Amino acid sequence: MTSIEQNSSASPQESVLAIINSKAPFSSSHGKDALDVALIFAAFEQKVSLFFQGDGVYQLMDKQDGSLLGIKDYLKTFSAFEFYDIEDIYVCQPSLASRQLDEDFHIDDVQVLSSIEFGLALNRHQHVLRF
Amino acid sequence: MSTLHLIRQSAFASNDFAQCLSVLDHRDSVVLMDDGCYNLKHSLMDSLIKRVGSVNINIIASHAQARAIEIITAVNTIEISDVVELTFTHNKVITWQ
Repeated sequence: MTSIEQNSSASPQESVLAIINSKAPFSSSHGKDALDVALIFAAFEQKVSLFFQGDGVYQLMDKQDGSLLGIKDYLKTFSAFEFYDIEDIYVCQPSLASRQLDEDFHIDDVQVLSSIEFGLALNRHQHVLRF
Repeated sequence: MSTLHLIRQSAFASNDFAQCLSVLDHRDSVVLMDDGCYNLKHSLMDSLIKRVGSVNINIIASHAQARAIEIITAVNTIEISDVVELTFTHNKVITWQ
């Protein structure tokens, strides 16, 4: 019996999907939608990288509690990223600085990048979705 | 004539807060709610804080706490139910969203 293996069209340096998060977590469903898409792609073993830029950086900040707003807190699901092999998580440093935020995130292994590095990391991906 | 200004959006993502500050009059009140709570860390906030006394600044405690935002002493912490009272003590309400 022969098995058919599908080769990934991505070169080793080029990842498949980048998801940019640009919205604050609680006032819209964008963050939740981005999370759902990321986990679906990851469940099908597609390499996903997450980018946090602008107000999207608020999604990563520690000590948040959506339950105070009567919202199911999807941010807690971020801790499942390692089980889904989502390892590349990038944050735009100038976005943190302009919001007077420390690098105090509720998940580990977040990479804080300068504007230039952030752009370079994004350009290593074949496809980009922005939420 | 006094106006109650409800700020519901992040000034980092929209121009609403700047527009509100440009029309803000003395005796007016400002309430930071929802994503408006993020404005506490915005540079525009400094000019608003300088007007404390002539302008009354409030923030919804639970909205700030949910977002892990530290509240500063120049700003009154209120509950969402207190906004009802504020709508009665002002002539008009403008929601910036």
